[in-house]
Amino acid sequence: MLCAECDLLIQNKIIEEGSYLKCPRCGHVLYKQKYNTIIKSLALSITALICFYPAVTEPIMSLSMGGKEQHQNIIEGALVLLKEEHYIVAVLTFMCSLLIPLFRLLLLFYVTLSLSVNYFSPHLFWTFRLYHYMEEWGMLDVYMLGVIVSVVKLSSMAEIQFGFGFWMYAMLLICSIMANNELNHHEVWDRLLAKKKAFQ
Amino acid sequence: MNYYTGKEEGLVLCTECHTIHQFIPDVLMHCNRCGAELNQRKPNSLARTWALLLSSMILFIPANMLDIMNVTYFGQDDPSTIMGGVIVLIQLGSYPVAFVVFVASILVPLFKMFGILMILLSLKYHIDLTDKQRIKMFRVIDFIGRWSMLDIFVISILAALVNISGVAVITAGAGATAFSVVVVLTILAANSFDTRLLWDYKKLRS
Ligand SMILES: [Zn+2]
Ligand SMILES: [Zn+2]
Repeated sequence: MLCAECDLLIQNKIIEEGSYLKCPRCGHVLYKQKYNTIIKSLALSITALICFYPAVTEPIMSLSMGGKEQHQNIIEGALVLLKEEHYIVAVLTFMCSLLIPLFRLLLLFYVTLSLSVNYFSPHLFWTFRLYHYMEEWGMLDVYMLGVIVSVVKLSSMAEIQFGFGFWMYAMLLICSIMANNELNHHEVWDRLLAKKKAFQ
Repeated sequence: MNYYTGKEEGLVLCTECHTIHQFIPDVLMHCNRCGAELNQRKPNSLARTWALLLSSMILFIPANMLDIMNVTYFGQDDPSTIMGGVIVLIQLGSYPVAFVVFVASILVPLFKMFGILMILLSLKYHIDLTDKQRIKMFRVIDFIGRWSMLDIFVISILAALVNISGVAVITAGAGATAFSVVVVLTILAANSFDTRLLWDYKKLRS
């Protein structure tokens, strides 16, 4: 076995179920002995995908100020910035808070579903690689904190109410974090490699 | 204890699917299991990290000097910079939120740029930091980097929500673009750094 973070050569060791193997030199987790994570991840990704639609289309919050009211969902937020010609900010916000999280959930759903129903295609390998690549660009958690900060900032000049979209976004956030943490990548790769051998 | 690395043994690890392959020099190798590109070390890791880091440091200046947003409240303009936004929050008395914004948009980017700089300089000039310190620092940097996007998200939420003409209008400023590019550059800089170099350099010296 080789450590991905310090390239240390390590003799294979037997690990107990439920435990980790850590690199003796840098402390990187080399292998997780945790199974049956795929089906749980599949269930969580389905729940997250169900929450996605209302999270995006329902207003995150509504604001009333000077007798006027305004509602806002995420897509409209990005559109306003585009109109003001802040292209980079608009595109980044749209990608990180919406497009990439959605795309990652779809990829996760596809991979976990395929493994659960015994379907195999060579696409699954790059699908799962892509899922891993985009990990830090999905920023549901940061966006959620952004919503809370915005509410505090506005509290002095207007009345704010959280919309249905806010609670759906919170659900979406929790489900996708859990789906991501639950999944043991080593198990996915092991299963994919076994499938590939069986199909050859 | 004597450590051997995969590179010394002529092996290469697929960082995607964790399989080990025999390394063939001077050939662009792909993993025969998952198809990912195989490299013993990330190509041009140090040069790329330096370039991205220096660009982010230069852009950090306009990001802090220019206005990130403008609040028009009953016809009166009130542009503010990143630090200005924090001060407004303090004046409102929301200390926890002011602290969060200050950490996410000023401390984190500074710590991140300074940390990567330290690691790069310590490799270049053989400053003695232990590997444990370096890798710990790098892991912290890698983890916190994305949280700097907080202020950008806040601006885009505010700009979208507060758009009641005649009463209050919030628009993003040029500083927001600069700042978002800084965040992206620092994330890319951390990604292009290959942590395995930390141990390679140590071995070179001893
Ligand atoms: Zn290691
Ligand atoms: Zn591979």
